[in-house]
Amino acid sequence: MTVADDIPLAKPARAGKATQPFPIRRVVPGVLTTLIVVFCVAPFLLVLAISFGRKVDGAAWVWDLTFENYQRFFVGVLWPDEITLLYLQQLYYSFYFAVIASLLAVLTALPFTLLLTRLKRSTQAMWLVFILSSLAMSEVFIVMGWDILLSNNSGLPKLFRETGLTAWLKDVGWFQTLRDWGLANPRNVKFKTSDFATVLTMSYLVWPYAVILLYPALSRLDPSLAEAARTMGAGRWTVTRTVTLPSIRLPLLGTTLLLFVFLLGTYVAVTVFAAPEKHTTAVAIYSNVRGANLNAPFGATQAIMLLIAASTCLSLGHLLNRKAEGAR
Amino acid sequence: MLGLSLKGVSKSFGHITAVEPTDLSFPKGELTALLGPSGCGKTTLLRMIAGLEAPTRGTILLGGEDITTHPAHKRKFGMVFQSFALFPHYSVRENVAYSLVIGGMGKAAACKKANALLETVQLGGFGDRRIGELSGGQRQRVAIARALAQEPEVFLLDEPMSALDAKLREEMQVELRLLQQRLGITTIVVTHDQREAMTMADQIVVMSNGRIEQIAPPQEIYHQPANTFVADFIGKANFFDGIVVEGGVTVGDTHLTTQANFQSGSPVQIAIRPERAAMDDEGGANRVAAKVMFVRDLGPLREYHLQSDIGPMIVEYAVGETGPTLSTGDATTVRLPPEAIQVFPRAAPKSQAA
Amino acid sequence: MRVFGMLYMGLVALVLALPIVVVCGAALNSGRSMFFPPVDPTFERFGEFFVSEPVWTVALWNSVIVATSAASLAVLMAWPIAYMLWSTGSNISKTLAGLGSLPFAVPPIVFGVGLGFFWAFTGGLGEIWAGIISHAILLLALPLVTISIGLQSIDRSLLDAAATMGATDQVAFRTVVLPQTVPYTISGFFFVLVLSFNEFIVIFFVSASSYATVTLQIFNSLRNGYTPTMAVAAITFLAVSILVFSAVARWGDLPRLMGADQTRK
Repeated sequence: MTVADDIPLAKPARAGKATQPFPIRRVVPGVLTTLIVVFCVAPFLLVLAISFGRKVDGAAWVWDLTFENYQRFFVGVLWPDEITLLYLQQLYYSFYFAVIASLLAVLTALPFTLLLTRLKRSTQAMWLVFILSSLAMSEVFIVMGWDILLSNNSGLPKLFRETGLTAWLKDVGWFQTLRDWGLANPRNVKFKTSDFATVLTMSYLVWPYAVILLYPALSRLDPSLAEAARTMGAGRWTVTRTVTLPSIRLPLLGTTLLLFVFLLGTYVAVTVFAAPEKHTTAVAIYSNVRGANLNAPFGATQAIMLLIAASTCLSLGHLLNRKAEGAR
Repeated sequence: MLGLSLKGVSKSFGHITAVEPTDLSFPKGELTALLGPSGCGKTTLLRMIAGLEAPTRGTILLGGEDITTHPAHKRKFGMVFQSFALFPHYSVRENVAYSLVIGGMGKAAACKKANALLETVQLGGFGDRRIGELSGGQRQRVAIARALAQEPEVFLLDEPMSALDAKLREEMQVELRLLQQRLGITTIVVTHDQREAMTMADQIVVMSNGRIEQIAPPQEIYHQPANTFVADFIGKANFFDGIVVEGGVTVGDTHLTTQANFQSGSPVQIAIRPERAAMDDEGGANRVAAKVMFVRDLGPLREYHLQSDIGPMIVEYAVGETGPTLSTGDATTVRLPPEAIQVFPRAAPKSQAA
Repeated sequence: MRVFGMLYMGLVALVLALPIVVVCGAALNSGRSMFFPPVDPTFERFGEFFVSEPVWTVALWNSVIVATSAASLAVLMAWPIAYMLWSTGSNISKTLAGLGSLPFAVPPIVFGVGLGFFWAFTGGLGEIWAGIISHAILLLALPLVTISIGLQSIDRSLLDAAATMGATDQVAFRTVVLPQTVPYTISGFFFVLVLSFNEFIVIFFVSASSYATVTLQIFNSLRNGYTPTMAVAAITFLAVSILVFSAVARWGDLPRLMGADQTRK
C-alpha cells in the first residue's frame, strides 16, 4: 500500500463518494442479514425453545415452558425417588472420547505438519491434495474402512491369527494384559467394541483437520528465529521447547479445542465402535429425535447441554490463554 | 497559463494531522518534486491531488476550475505507483491500453496507441508478455506508459524509483526527465531521495511533519536552505551551535566572522557544507585548528573527518581540486569562508518559507 | 533426523491410506460380502452402482444435485458477505461472517437437529431443496474463507491505479477484482461440493428418510451388513475428491489457500 509509507493508520478512502455505484448496496445487506438470521440462527433458537417443550403420547410433543427435561438430564426422570446419572454419564463419555481423540490427533499431526511445511511448495501441494481428500471422506466410509480392518473375522485380528502373532502373544503372556484392557477375547485379539477402536477412528476422522488448522501457523514460523537460537548454542530440542512451541501455543490450543468440539458430535464412529454402556450424548440425541425413543424435547435438551458444555470448554480455553498471556 | 494549485489543502486522519494547510502551485509543463523523509505527508498530498484521498479542508484547482470533489476516475491524472500496481492478469499491452479500452476506445485503436507508447518507453515488442515476466526496470516503463496512455493533464509519480536498484535508478531518472520535457506535461514526483529530486525537478518542495519547509529550484534549495531542516536534509552540512556577537558568531571560545545580521546575544546554529570549508594556507578570518581522525576515500571524492576546536566536522575535496594530502593523526587548520557560513536561529519554530 | 522425519511422514501416509485402501479393495469382491483381500475380484459392482441398481443410481443422482446446488448457493451467499467484509470492514459484515460460520463451528449434530425442527415447521422436511439449503448454510464458512483470502490478495494500489485511469468502482470491480478472485471462488465452490457430497449427519436429519443420498444409503445399508457396492461408492467419492483437489492445486495456489506464507516458496 502506497499510503502506508506516510500514514500507517490511514484507511484507503476514496474521494468523491457522491456517486453511489451500486444502488443494490442498500438492499443486499438487508437480504443477507435476513437469510443468515433465518438459516444460521433460527435453528439454534428452535432447539432452545423446544428443549422446554413437553412430550405427549406417541411421538408428539407440545410447546411448554417446563424445566423437566433439564431436571431429567441431571438427575433422571424418577427424581426425587431415585437418581439416575445416565445422561450425565453420556455427556461424560462424549467428553472422554473427544478429549483423548483430539489430543491424539493434534499431538501426532504437529510433527507431521512441521515436516510438511519444510518441503518444497509443489510437494506440499501434493500432500495437501492427499490430506484434503482424506478430510473429505465421509464419516460412514471411514468407519466402514476401520470396521473391516478391526472386525473379528477380517482385517487385523485375522492377520494376528494367521501370522501367528496371537499365539506368540499368548506365549509371552502379553495376551492376558490385552484381555485386561478389553482388547482380546479368549481366542484372539478383538478391537470391537473397544475404547481403543473408538478413539482411533475419531482421531482419524479429525486428523486431516488438525493438519489443515495447524498448517497456516506452522508455515508462517520464521525459520530465522530457530536459526538465531541455534547460533546461540541451543540444541534441536531446546529450540523446539523454547522457540517453536511457545510461538505456536495459540494455534495449538485453538486447534485442539476446535477438534474437540467437532468430536463431541461424533455419531457413526461411536455407534459402531463404542460399547453400548459407553454411548455418548450424540447417540442419545439421535435416538430421541429420530431413533427409537422419539422424545424430541429431551433430544433438544441434550443438544443444548452439549452446546453449553462445548462453549464452556471454548471460553475456558480462551480464559486460560488470556491468563497465560497475562503471566508473561 | 494556470497549472494545478492547492489552496489551504489539509488532511487529518482522526487526531493525526498528515498534511497541514498547504498552498502550493504546480506550474504548467514543469516537474515538481515533493521531497521529504518518510511520514512527512508527501504521499498523502499526492493522493489528494490524484483524487484517491479527500482533503479534510481546502480546494484543488486545475486551470482555474475547482476539482476538489471530482473523484479519481473523473480527474484521470495518470499515476505511477511505488509498487507500479500493474495488473497481473493482463498482458503488457492490455495494461497500457486499459484506460483507453474502459474509456470506450475501440480495441484496434487502443492496441495501436499502446504499441506506440511501448515504443516510446523502449518496450516495443514486449506487448504480449505477462507482467510476471518483466524485470523491475521494464515494469516501471510499463507503468509510465500506462499512466501516459490517457494523455493526462497532470502526471503523478509516487516514489517511482524505490523498487529499482541504485544504478538503474540513476538512468531512469535522466530518462524520465527527458521524456517529461519532450511531452511538456505537468508532473509531480514524490520522493525521499534528494539526488532524484535534484536530477529531475524544476522546482523542489521540501516537506517535513506535514508542512512545507521550502519551495525553490534545486540549486537554491542546496545553496540557500531556508532553515536547518533543509540544510540537513539536502546534502551534507557541518552544524555548530553559537551565540551572535558583533560582526559574527562565537562558537565555544572561537569567534567566527559571518555575513548574517542577527541581534547580538541570540542563540544560533551555523552550517557549512563540507566542500565549502578548506584546508589551505590562504590567510584571512575563521581559521580553526583541527586534527584528522579518519580519511574516507570515495574515488571521485575524499572526505576528511576532523576533530576541530569548535567540534567534529567533515571537509570534502573532489578529485582535481588542489587540496592537502593528509592522513589520520595529522594536525591542520580549517578555513571557514564567511560567505559560506549559513546562520539559522536556534530553537526557533520552523518557519514556513514561500 | 531427516530420515526419521521421512519415516514418520511415510508412516502417517500409510495409516491415512489404510482404511481407504481396504474399502477400495473390498469393492472388487464378486460375492455379496466384504472380504479383504477381495475374493474372486470383479468389476461388476461398478456396473451395479452406476447403472443397474436403482437404489444406488437414484442416491448418486440426489448426491450430485444436492452437492452442486449447495455449492452454487453457498458461493452466491458468501460473495456479497466476503465483499462487504473486504470493502467496508463494517461491523455488520463482521457479524454476518461470524454468524455465517457458526453452523460449521458447532457439533454438526446440534445444527442437524435444529435444521430438522426448522424444516418441520417451514414445510421443507424431506424436500430435496431443503437439503440443498441446509448444506449451503452448513458449509457457507468455506467459500467465505476462500473468497476472503482471494480478496485480501488483491493489492489495493491496483484499485487506486484503475481509478486514476478513469475506472469507476463498477469498472474496477469487473476488470480488477473479479478476474483476480475467480480461482478462489472456484476453490470455495469445490470445497463445498466435496464436503456436501460426503456429509452425513445434517442431511440425515433434514431428509427425514424421504430421499437418500449416497452417504445416507450407505448408512441405511449398514444394518444389513456391508456390501461391495458400498465400497464402489467410496471409491467414486474418493476419486471425485482427489480430482477436485488436484484441480484446485493445479490451477490455484493450494498452499496459499490453506494459509501458507506467501513470501516463501
